[in-house]
Amino acid sequence: MTACRSLKPLLMLGVSLLAAPDLARALEGEQTVFPAIATEQTRLVINGATDVDAMKPLILDFQQLAPEVAVVFNDYVTNDLFREAESACSKEAAYGDVLLSSSVDQLVKLANDGCAQDHRSQETERVADWANWRDEVFGFTFEPAVIVYDGKRVPPEDVPRSHVEIAELLRAKPDVYRNRIGTYDVRVSGIGYLLAFHDALQAPTTYGRLLESFSRADVVTRCCNSEVLGEISSGRLRIAYNVLGSYAYAASRRNPDLRVVIPRDYALILSRGALIPKLAPNPNLAKRFLDYLLSPRGQKVAREKAFFFSEGAPLPPDVDGPMSLIESGVGRPIRIGPALLAAQDQATRERFIANWSSLFSPPAP
Amino acid sequence: MQRTKPSLFSRLVLRVALVLAGGAAVLMTAAWFYARAAADEAYDRLLQGAAIQILDSLVVEDGKIAVNLPPSAFELLGLARRDRIFYRVIAPDGSTLTGYDDLAAAGAGKEHALNAPLFETSRYRGLQVRLVQTSRAISDPSIGGWAHVLIAQTTEARQVLTTELTTRALILVTIMSLLALAGTILAVRYSLRPLDALGDTLRRRDSQDLTPLAVDVPRELAPFVDSINHFMRRLDERLKLLQRFIADSAHQIRTPLTALSAQVSLIDEEALSETNRRHLDRVRNRTSELARFTTQLLNHAMVIHRFDSAQLSPLDLTDVARKAFRAAVPITIDPDTVVSFEAPDETLTILGDGLSLREAIVNIIDNSLRHGTLSKLEVRVVRRGDFGLVEVEDDGPGIPPADWSHVTQRFVSSKSGEGSSGLGFAIASEVAGALQGALSFREKTPQRGFTVVLELPLMRRDGL
Repeated sequence: MTACRSLKPLLMLGVSLLAAPDLARALEGEQTVFPAIATEQTRLVINGATDVDAMKPLILDFQQLAPEVAVVFNDYVTNDLFREAESACSKEAAYGDVLLSSSVDQLVKLANDGCAQDHRSQETERVADWANWRDEVFGFTFEPAVIVYDGKRVPPEDVPRSHVEIAELLRAKPDVYRNRIGTYDVRVSGIGYLLAFHDALQAPTTYGRLLESFSRADVVTRCCNSEVLGEISSGRLRIAYNVLGSYAYAASRRNPDLRVVIPRDYALILSRGALIPKLAPNPNLAKRFLDYLLSPRGQKVAREKAFFFSEGAPLPPDVDGPMSLIESGVGRPIRIGPALLAAQDQATRERFIANWSSLFSPPAP
Repeated sequence: MQRTKPSLFSRLVLRVALVLAGGAAVLMTAAWFYARAAADEAYDRLLQGAAIQILDSLVVEDGKIAVNLPPSAFELLGLARRDRIFYRVIAPDGSTLTGYDDLAAAGAGKEHALNAPLFETSRYRGLQVRLVQTSRAISDPSIGGWAHVLIAQTTEARQVLTTELTTRALILVTIMSLLALAGTILAVRYSLRPLDALGDTLRRRDSQDLTPLAVDVPRELAPFVDSINHFMRRLDERLKLLQRFIADSAHQIRTPLTALSAQVSLIDEEALSETNRRHLDRVRNRTSELARFTTQLLNHAMVIHRFDSAQLSPLDLTDVARKAFRAAVPITIDPDTVVSFEAPDETLTILGDGLSLREAIVNIIDNSLRHGTLSKLEVRVVRRGDFGLVEVEDDGPGIPPADWSHVTQRFVSSKSGEGSSGLGFAIASEVAGALQGALSFREKTPQRGFTVVLELPLMRRDGL
């Protein structure tokens, strides 16, 4: 879950969407404590820009292996997390034991600025080359950017199965879908920016056409996945573009009307990043948690309960997409590496957002 | 005591190894420098390429300079997988457009061609980095001047590449050095082989043999061999001179000795007192001993002389032995002593010099009669394979095996002091040696007495 300017819609959504009644609602900047199963001996502090409900099964399973550990999960929005981590690093202050963020470009920037410590183990050896930078930033999930549509309101012939098909659908039926398409607001959402930036890199022409079509169809931009998904559920939106697969699939499980499509021309694949800050108070525990996330057991829990997709496994049922993302060449992993520094560059970011904003006027809502 | 110096082999190998090790060290240093230069060259190009790409992305929009960082530039830099990247784009007015605004090139203030890239190895944020600064003139009328792009990259990949290249060079140099050392060891061994061969030849040489060495040696050893030969020739000459002197002396002594014997025999024993008669006996014995010794000395000289000059001819061994037997056993022998001569059925022909050979056998028998025989002496001529054997067996105590090796030397006899003649076995042994035969002894057993065996090779049937 990423940046949201207003907490109200999210609160509403949280109540309607997320089924975790026993747990304190985790909101951005909110703290959730998972008490130790046995007598507490140590405390692991995770600062995450990741939905606590997605992380919950992983943290609970980790505690099965480490019953003496209490876990404190602080949920931030990506940009806040980055700002806090950067300022802590420059002041040489401690800021949590583990940082988790879907905006991996921000983690790469932190690692580049020397704010991370490296970790090498049997588990980190298993991480794909594209999801590991300097043994400091590790991608621990596998999340395609997908298209979500409302099965009740979008007729089968209108279902877009590639980026081009969305553009063509909007050109063919501009009136039907005007104000009915939702996507990230790249100005607010770090992950939205990252996906848009890579869309522009992967297929500049197609993305240009898509943006143009979005602009003509008065696309609705929202801060967050959950908000966009919520509006589809409520019937206001029909199609959402560039939603993270994990959230989309979780929503589709709760509401069978939501259908998930993986574009067949190309699909960006994001790996949520984890990083151990250089000044982590409890680095060994952090490494243990990281090892757990990357271990077969952690990956299995992530695939079954938290993020649903994984590199080696077939797509979850009911997902409309190519059989195998990587082998078919459709999946385009966003490589965790120095190339992300370009996305993080302040001037580039401002320029990209300025270009993007100029196409969407006036900004919604 | 001779001081043992290190062997030629170890000296050569040690020096070659030192040279090789020194060479390897020099090569490795050079390889390290080359590897570092190559790594710098390779990664500098990436750095420069990225800088050029960023420089090209500078655009002037509405009178303002703007930068649009190309991700491909960072992908290029990302080819150094683990290296961190710091960059800074500077506008013509000196303000930082984007990036790390404390990044600066140390050499930037100095004069350098602005359109050529400036490379530097420096430190940034406590890290060793390689830095490039490239510049471009902005030709927009509103913003005149030079824009700069600085990129610094940590040097992990360079170090990895340098280490890898150096390690490979190290492996190659090590292999080459080991091969060279192995080759040197083989070559030195091979080159020193003639020296071993020469030593071997000298060691195997008969102690009597003073003829020049006939071995093939490398040119470097020829003076050494020549010196040995020269030395041996001189030694040989001196020995011959000495022998001639002994022979002459013996000859000269014989005449007065004969006269002395005659004079002694003329003394009237009856007129002498008991004591004087005993003294006379002693004088007579000593005189005859001296006469025999003189004869032996002469015989020895004769034998040596004959082998130096006489031609060998086929002889019947039995015939020679029988003549020697007759000559050696005196008519005045104690009648209680049983002497016998046994001849084989066949004729045993050997190649030799009759006179020397007879002298040799006479000396053996004589020695046996004098020092061994109590009551029995047997002389046998037998054949064993390709050899003819003359065996002289007596019933005396024999010579203990410990003495066998030196009784054949001159002036040694089995019973030291008493009636020492010494030359008997020496003459026999020398003759046997000259005829490619050997003189040996057989120990006394309950069944057989002590036996001296003269073994001589039979002449082959074809007469050669």
